[in-house]
Amino acid sequence: MIRLEKVYKSFDGKAALDGLEFQVDKGEIFGFLGPSGSGKTTTIKMLTGQLKPDRGHVEVFGQDVSNVTRPDLLQRIGIMTDNSNLYPRLTVLDNLNLYRSLYRVPIRRVKEVLEIVNLEGVEKKKTATLSKGMKQRVLLARALLHEPDLLFLDEPTAALDPINKERIHEGLRQLKANGTTIFLTTHDMQEAETLCDRVALLNGGRIVEEGAPVSLCQRFSDPIITIELKGGQVVTFENARESAKAIHDYMVNDQIVSIHTDEPTLGQVFIQVTGRNLA
Amino acid sequence: MITSIQRIYAIFTKDFKDLTKNLYVSTTFLLPLFYAFMLGRGSGMDSAYFLPLMVNMTFATVGTYIQSAIIAEEKENGTLRGLMLSPATTLEILTGKSVLSVLCSVVVFVVSLEFFDGPMTIPSAAWIGFIIMTIFYITLGTLVGLLSKSLMESSIFILPVIFILGMGTMFRDLMDEYAWFKVVEWMPNYQFEQLFQASDTSTIVAAIGWMIGWTALVVVVTLWLYQKRSFDE
Ligand SMILES: Nc1ncnc2c1ncn2[C@@H]1O[C@H](COP(=O)(O)OP(=O)(O)OP(=O)(O)O)[C@@H](O)[C@H]1O
Ligand SMILES: [Mg+2]
Repeated sequence: MIRLEKVYKSFDGKAALDGLEFQVDKGEIFGFLGPSGSGKTTTIKMLTGQLKPDRGHVEVFGQDVSNVTRPDLLQRIGIMTDNSNLYPRLTVLDNLNLYRSLYRVPIRRVKEVLEIVNLEGVEKKKTATLSKGMKQRVLLARALLHEPDLLFLDEPTAALDPINKERIHEGLRQLKANGTTIFLTTHDMQEAETLCDRVALLNGGRIVEEGAPVSLCQRFSDPIITIELKGGQVVTFENARESAKAIHDYMVNDQIVSIHTDEPTLGQVFIQVTGRNLA
Repeated sequence: MITSIQRIYAIFTKDFKDLTKNLYVSTTFLLPLFYAFMLGRGSGMDSAYFLPLMVNMTFATVGTYIQSAIIAEEKENGTLRGLMLSPATTLEILTGKSVLSVLCSVVVFVVSLEFFDGPMTIPSAAWIGFIIMTIFYITLGTLVGLLSKSLMESSIFILPVIFILGMGTMFRDLMDEYAWFKVVEWMPNYQFEQLFQASDTSTIVAAIGWMIGWTALVVVVTLWLYQKRSFDE
């Protein structure tokens, strides 16, 4: 679906993308994670034909990205970036109706997408009067109107409460089940862990780690086994053959309260990999 | 083709609804009507002066301004990006907006005729001129919209357009006093008036030539600027 090869882009002599390479397969939810300023939005702009790479190859739908501005390809793409906007003086319905006509989508879709983003009943409201989270959900609804094959979402749940977040995750899983490929950026590691099939950690304009969230976490798990004993004592062992005998003894003597390995969260993996905090 | 017309219509409808809710821009309708009221009623003005003056006035203040304002505001609000990322082409987007600007200008112009009570004669060359001037003013509006970063900016950039093209010929008496004021003669609005006032063919052909020249220039500059800048810097 998406393929980047050695992509470079700099602004005013400062590199924003520095040899970026990755691939997104059809039907997966791909999480693009990285600290602020790491180049996430720049990458989405590049993938949607809004920016040209200085060097390198960018491919969408198996075609060079310069083709992406063709109406037939734009018809298959849905986009919601952190700088998209609604017409403030118009109602939610007028806003959606414009895009419904541009994408030639039947009227019933408006109701369907508003349901997906949990916004039934706001059709007649002027968008200027909506809260930030509501605007964000209308924008998401707009991106979903034409049931795109490929969906770009730049921090789609940034301004949302946990309930609406969960509702939208549910909607995105549903889209994935129907075959939509989703490329999303997020600062929310929880979101990435529960929603994404695969994530890439971006730092300094290139991918530093890539894989399924679980396997990434396992790869970075501490090789230490921690055992809590009756009486409150805590002992630790290397996760290695030599530890087997001692652990076995605790076990047969019925001394163990709990036993676990320390698997980091995706957020901790990120900090470990980049030496930076997500902000 | 049908798809294209539907998209143009969708953009037109959206811009129309938006304009009716935008008092700041839509009140410019009143300016040409005010002038028509002042100049038309009982002044005994000849229609050969009134008509071209009102065309220039209306298209400069309503057509050019609305066109520039709705483009500039989309840039300012970041809504143009969404349109550009939809299957609508730039030509469809600009056409939808142009249809609205032309329609508003024509409606205001027709209403302004209500204030004129003398006999009206329209030479056939004037119709050709009218079409050329419509293209000229709307393309100029597109150009001003592309140059402006915000609605406010377009409202400022439009002022010289209104003074020079919309009202310039009202001060034609100055031409006899100050030689430099003769530059007005090179302007397309002045040449358009010639189509109503001149009777010799050579003047009329020259006037149409000037107007086509100006229009071609504005079209070329607009296209060049459009290619140079991406729409949503
Ligand atoms: N149009 C531009 N002109 C100059 N510099 C830019 C431009 N766009 C992006 N940059 C720079 O490129 C780098 C990457 O920016 P980008 O917006 O892609 O980051 P991001 O990962 O999306 O950050 P965030 O999480 O804050 O949205 C930043 O250093 C930014 O300042
Ligand atoms: Mg960003």
